[in-house]
Amino acid sequence: MQTRVISLLVEDNPGVLTRMSGMFTMRGINISSLTVSPCEKEGLSRMTVTIEGSESELENVRKQLSNLIEVIKVVDLKENESIIRDLCLIKVHTKNVEARTEVMQLAESYGAKIADASLNSMILELADEPERIERFIELMKHFGIKQLFRTGITAIGRD
Amino acid sequence: MTGKKLSGAEIVVEELKKEGVEVAFGIPGGALLDLYEVLYQTEEIRHILMRHEQCAAHAADGYARVSGRTGVCIATSGPGATNLVTGLATANADSSSIVALTGQVPTSAIGSNAFQEASTFTITMPITKHNFLVTQTEDLPWVIHNAFYIANTGRKGVVLIDLPRDVQANRVEVELHPEDTFPGYKPNINPNKVQTKKAAEVLANAERPLILAGGGVISAGATEELLALTELLGAGVVTTLMGKGAIPESHPLCLGMAGMHGRIYANRALNECDALLALGTRFSDRLTGWQLDQFAPDATLIQVDVDATEINKNMPVDIPIVGDVKLALSDILKWLKKESIHEGSVWLQRIKEMHSACEECIKDIWRPGSSVSDILIKELNNILDGDAIVTTEVGQCQMFAAHYYMTKKPRTFISSGGLGTMGFGFPAAIGAKVAAPDKRVVDIAGDGSFLMTCHDLATCVENDIPVVVCIFDNRYLGMVRQWQELFFDKRYSHTNLGITPDFIRLGEAFGCYAERVEKPEDLKATLENAFESGKPAVIDMIVGKEDKVLPMIPPGGGITGMIGTERCKRV
Repeated sequence: MQTRVISLLVEDNPGVLTRMSGMFTMRGINISSLTVSPCEKEGLSRMTVTIEGSESELENVRKQLSNLIEVIKVVDLKENESIIRDLCLIKVHTKNVEARTEVMQLAESYGAKIADASLNSMILELADEPERIERFIELMKHFGIKQLFRTGITAIGRD
Repeated sequence: MTGKKLSGAEIVVEELKKEGVEVAFGIPGGALLDLYEVLYQTEEIRHILMRHEQCAAHAADGYARVSGRTGVCIATSGPGATNLVTGLATANADSSSIVALTGQVPTSAIGSNAFQEASTFTITMPITKHNFLVTQTEDLPWVIHNAFYIANTGRKGVVLIDLPRDVQANRVEVELHPEDTFPGYKPNINPNKVQTKKAAEVLANAERPLILAGGGVISAGATEELLALTELLGAGVVTTLMGKGAIPESHPLCLGMAGMHGRIYANRALNECDALLALGTRFSDRLTGWQLDQFAPDATLIQVDVDATEINKNMPVDIPIVGDVKLALSDILKWLKKESIHEGSVWLQRIKEMHSACEECIKDIWRPGSSVSDILIKELNNILDGDAIVTTEVGQCQMFAAHYYMTKKPRTFISSGGLGTMGFGFPAAIGAKVAAPDKRVVDIAGDGSFLMTCHDLATCVENDIPVVVCIFDNRYLGMVRQWQELFFDKRYSHTNLGITPDFIRLGEAFGCYAERVEKPEDLKATLENAFESGKPAVIDMIVGKEDKVLPMIPPGGGITGMIGTERCKRV
């Protein structure tokens, strides 16, 4: 099993997402992260799908995705050849001054922005590689996480 | 612009005419009133009113498989569309080209649980090659053009178009007959020359070359190239169920169908070959058995398929070739030297010996120890002599036909392979007869399967479509019963169908010719009577209740582990 990021260029039609996700459902593959957004070409969307599976499963998936009529391009994004990013918003308990100061220091060292603050909690925003986000979340658990939101992975291949 | 406003329904029919559609199988409904209003006034398209939407899809499928064109079926929204599902899944599983039109509630009502509303678009997504929910009348010319283009190119398949009522009714001014297609849809037709050259080298140097012909050979119209390559190489040929007809089965190098219920010699050849050229086949489990290491273990495997997803899917391949089978075979033939390569080889002799043993068995109709079913299917083969179009239901009758019926030409053996749909054969025969009215069309049926779709006898009688249904009548769901006998200690759990109906009276109630065959020797005369009647016919052939289709690969077994081979000649 390995994690793989697949980038799809698709037509921006209703049903494309269902078609794509149905392809994974039929093969019993779980999507661990998915982002969909407009891209540089009008009428097209880019999907970034993160899945886990064996090498042969992934190869099959890539071919099956290419077979979908509305899929224009399938790119297998390898970790060392692409920029992979995730964005998270975390609401952390900051019940006292010490906690607030510590959270602010950690946020600074990770390059996280303070999106909002109240007397009892802070909302931090961090856009980074998924692994660094994981580490940041681990640290924040120490203070108590009220809520955690992640956009899911988006990625782009290097030239 | 035409300068004239057309309704959506008119646009649909104009585009169907442009695609050369001559016939459509369907049933109208509330959500299709606009479309049927236009069809009523259209002489160019013959509409055949079916009695169940599943049969409409199967008939379109049978039509497509026999004619090589795209079959068209029509059903209304909700239950009409859901009834189509089995037929569409059947066609798509066997890469048969169909365009299905379904009515839908008006766009404003979609999602409101309106009367006869079902989400046809999402229901049919996994069982079609592609589908459309049209939300604007202006899109119709482009959608219909692309539906036909997608259905009948690359790996063929089913395309469904869902047509909301208002989309059919709205009048718009549009440009008809567009040409542009999806930027993401480019079938991989042209094979890689490096790969075909490698394949040619392997085949030329092999001592025991074998060709495995799948449905892709027929679909690509590559039967001439297949025959040329077979004879040039001196290779044996085995087929899949879908590949029956790819080469005349009387050819001395053809060993017939391989697989779970295949011919023992075909399976043996697979086991013995040292190079295997697989053409348009997906190595289904019914072909390979369950022990993949027993399947062509010594062979360099070359796989040709127009669908890249089939390469390496079920069997690891040494030389993959993505492309059209006809083009790939032409290339391989070009790479090979012109003279016959394996003439006089030991392998060639062995193939010919195995072929003779097989043919001897099939021609020996009254061989001692044969079951009534064995005798009847051999007799049927003898009478029809490869000149008819045979469709089959699913189960024992299908495997009897696959095993013993000797096809001569492509597109004359029509069976539900991938999905294994009981009730397929009879409505497919209707489509087949419409596609080839001058041919005798026979559905080789079981009593269990036939009862699933027999209501469409009414369609046959009303539309003068004289197909002949030959029922292997054992009052059992025979194939399941066979498994229960062999592997579940004869505990016949819910496979006994009891004694009803009387198929003669059933046939006659619909206005068909009907006759019972109590003794196999009467079959010939009965069939002649049926053909001469000029009517749709039901022939009820009484067979042994515990007749079995043998030999077979038992569950879990591999291609070398067939059971029930006692009556096969040792070669």
